[in-house]
Amino acid sequence: MANRHEAADESRRLDRRNLLATIGAAGTAGFAGCGGQGATEPSGSADSDDGGPFPLSVRLETGGTDERIRMVEVIAESLQQTGYFETEVETYEWNAYLDRVINPAYQDDGYLPAIGLSGTFNPHSFCNPIHNSANVGACCNLTGIADPELDELLDSARYGIEVAEDSRLRAETYDEIWRTLAEERYTSFVHFGVETAVSNADVHGFAMWPFPEGVFSYGLFSPQDEQVAWIDGERPAGDTDLSDLTTGGTLTAAVSTNPDSFDPPHSSDTTSTIVQNLLFEALVANDAEGNVYPWLAERYELRDVRDVDRTVYEEYMRSAGTTAEGAVDVDEQVIVRHPEDDPAAGDEVRVLLPEDAREAAADGTYGMWFRYELREGVEFHDGNELTAEDVVASYEYYENSATAPQTFDSVLAAVAVDEYVVDVYAQVPDAEAERELPGVSVLSADQIAEVEKGSIDPREGVTPVGTGPYEFGEFVDEEYLEVSKFDGYWVETRGVDAAFEWFDGPDSFPDGPVIDAIEVEVVPDDATRTGALRSGEIDLTYDVSSATLEDFDDDDGYLVHAVEAGGYDYLQYPLNVEPWDDPRLREAVNHLIPRRRIVDNVLNGWAEPAWTPIPRIARGAGTTDYGALEDAVRPLNEYDVERAEALLDEMAAEYDESS
Amino acid sequence: MSLRRFVVRRALSVVPVLFGVSVITFGLFHLTPGDPVSQLVALNPDVSAAEEARLRERWGLSGPVWRQYLAWLSNVLVGDFGRELRTGRAVSGILWRRLPETIVLGVFGWAFAIAIAIPAGIYAAVNKGRLGDVAARVLALSGVSIPNFWLGLLLILVLSLYLGLFPVLPPSRLPLYHPETLRYLLLPGVTIGTAAAASVTRVMRTSMAEELNEEYVTAARARGLPERTVVFKHVLRNSLVSVVTLAATLTAGIVAGSVVVESVFNWPGLGSEFVRAIDRREVNVVMAITLVTAVAVVLANLLADVLYAVLDPRIRYD
Repeated sequence: MANRHEAADESRRLDRRNLLATIGAAGTAGFAGCGGQGATEPSGSADSDDGGPFPLSVRLETGGTDERIRMVEVIAESLQQTGYFETEVETYEWNAYLDRVINPAYQDDGYLPAIGLSGTFNPHSFCNPIHNSANVGACCNLTGIADPELDELLDSARYGIEVAEDSRLRAETYDEIWRTLAEERYTSFVHFGVETAVSNADVHGFAMWPFPEGVFSYGLFSPQDEQVAWIDGERPAGDTDLSDLTTGGTLTAAVSTNPDSFDPPHSSDTTSTIVQNLLFEALVANDAEGNVYPWLAERYELRDVRDVDRTVYEEYMRSAGTTAEGAVDVDEQVIVRHPEDDPAAGDEVRVLLPEDAREAAADGTYGMWFRYELREGVEFHDGNELTAEDVVASYEYYENSATAPQTFDSVLAAVAVDEYVVDVYAQVPDAEAERELPGVSVLSADQIAEVEKGSIDPREGVTPVGTGPYEFGEFVDEEYLEVSKFDGYWVETRGVDAAFEWFDGPDSFPDGPVIDAIEVEVVPDDATRTGALRSGEIDLTYDVSSATLEDFDDDDGYLVHAVEAGGYDYLQYPLNVEPWDDPRLREAVNHLIPRRRIVDNVLNGWAEPAWTPIPRIARGAGTTDYGALEDAVRPLNEYDVERAEALLDEMAAEYDESS
Repeated sequence: MSLRRFVVRRALSVVPVLFGVSVITFGLFHLTPGDPVSQLVALNPDVSAAEEARLRERWGLSGPVWRQYLAWLSNVLVGDFGRELRTGRAVSGILWRRLPETIVLGVFGWAFAIAIAIPAGIYAAVNKGRLGDVAARVLALSGVSIPNFWLGLLLILVLSLYLGLFPVLPPSRLPLYHPETLRYLLLPGVTIGTAAAASVTRVMRTSMAEELNEEYVTAARARGLPERTVVFKHVLRNSLVSVVTLAATLTAGIVAGSVVVESVFNWPGLGSEFVRAIDRREVNVVMAITLVTAVAVVLANLLADVLYAVLDPRIRYD
């Protein structure tokens, strides 16, 4: 039991981190050591004596959660039943499995890997990591998919001046990608996961997504009056509305893992994210569709886009040595590495360092230029006022941090123009820049000046200081954490109507968070966590298995909060190994995946079948017309044994003939 | 052989054992696929191979395993257990915070085991063959057979959830020495002590029954001593010899059990930390806890040997 739980945890943590990776990033073009590999020599089994590949031995492999393992077993059984396949399922411990499938040699083994990833509002996160040939041997093109046309299409959907300036063109390009993927079937998307939380009926108006607004969301989402959380043990949640709002109280939640750190750029696990989002804020915020709203910035604008690629920084670059391990040997953050240089191959590489990046931006060498005008009078928890200096210091604080890779694949430089104006530059024209460039938690410059990098954490004796609705209270490592309402919260002091031009919620909407304090207990064990919820020791918990969710859902005393958050499970075909290079085989197998049955029976309905490769959250930027896309693509992904058998018969007949 | 020489000899044999434990743990840890760096970056599409190499170098995970081991060993010899890779925090700090929690839980479980087992064993031996004896034996057999994670969950289910008598979560805001901690200790303590209680009961019963058949017992009874005096003054003392040594070796079981029981009860001790550390590939934490556990078990065994030698002088001449 402990094992299953840990594995589940782990994949969730990684998924969440990956999700953040994409939220906070603008590009994935800077890959090293895994440049486009062509198809390798097929090494699969030769045709058998009778001239046909059937029954074909298929080895499906997976790791991680019980649910994923059962999903793979259902698929294997479905294949087996046709009589065309001899299936076996191998399962691995999650970390061992990651090591196994990320290895570029894996593509030659001819196995079918199944893993889970998590994407974001950015449609790129549902196609690029698993299909771009640059991601062979990295995350997560596992079977060596290398389709030059697709690569170009993927890059052109996100980068370049055309899509950066024209969101319609971008959506059309993604539509083309989804159709290409549906026809080529390099990958079978099986289902999209949902993030869930369970609360008792004392918790009113809890919103799951996104995390910063889980407790208080300022009506970023419709219906707005359901976005304010409060605690009331007298009347159960469900039949109440904003007029019943009760202020005060303490919300006690349980999470499955200890927060790694309170230092935003030095952690990206789920718990740290939940906690940090109560304390820190960013220049902008997203709604449930991924639309961007000014937040700490009162307004922002895109001032210029330039048609450049990363070689434009060549004249600002300096030469750096490399280590035996293939790392660039400099202490500073590498903002851009010359695309033609590879630290694993050569002794020297050309790199753009932060100081030179600022110089380049000042000279007008950049991909995009955004200007953010800060609000005046925003107060940090320590009483200091937010200024441009804090924002610039925060960007610099992200240098050489754990999250630097996903920050500095898009950010070129952040520069203070005056006390309340910051310019942020992107390296190349990037259609995601509006969402991803400002994905930095704004910290206090005073605090940054005082601490060592990575030590904004009570365990290091530092009290985290942000501008968020709650301020840090108390933390005991691996045990519990308390935050309390911040009295000087800027939205509350000016009123929500005055604070946000775009706000059009009801008059009764509160100006600040209504819950006084939030306690977070760290409880790794699944059963203990749900037990504590039942015994009333906690009000809310995350990470409940789908089987247990059923029990809570049937119980009137509890509310299950679920939201499709971008997690997806997929199966990839080893198309560099015969006979998987035959598109008919992939088509047949894809039709044999019982997506609906997997969602209903394996996940107890707590997921969505992946009829298309694009889940709800990415539809805003990722398609011109989702209905039309689904009409076109869904039939290709339906469970259809007849069609599958017809294809397999055709293949078998062809083999007979050729022998 | 004098007692002193015996103790010194046994104590010296601890050194190679600890060395062996550390080599095996370190080796096994590095044989398993997936180091912390690959775990950190594996699903991140934005981390390049160059960045990964840099991380690995910074955390001393590059180079051959034996060199990593020697580096680790030389630090440990001067009391430095290194840092947690993911967070950079000192491992010794983690140890010092978790160790008291596990000791309290272990001592409570151990005390519970002894408090139940000795009277039960005596009762069963005195009433050998009768109903009470059979009941005690059945209970002891069940106690040994029930896996502690199951017992723990069952206790939570029945006593905490159905009856509401005990809290599910441990006392995160109470200091360990607070009297109310006892209420929180009861369920995990009972869970961890049950198996030990069962085996002590069985040994107690057997050795007591054996002693009761000795001639000196017959002699004592023949002299007209009351049965009470016979049992508690003469027999008990002699039959305790094997129990005392067993109780010391039970420490190993309690330490091992703490891994499971602490996870089930969310007890913030070394056991639950151990599980987390393995999962996160925190090599320094795993090594430190393994070493501390090994020291505890080895010391307990040493204590058992010494106690045995003290209580039964014949052993020294073997």
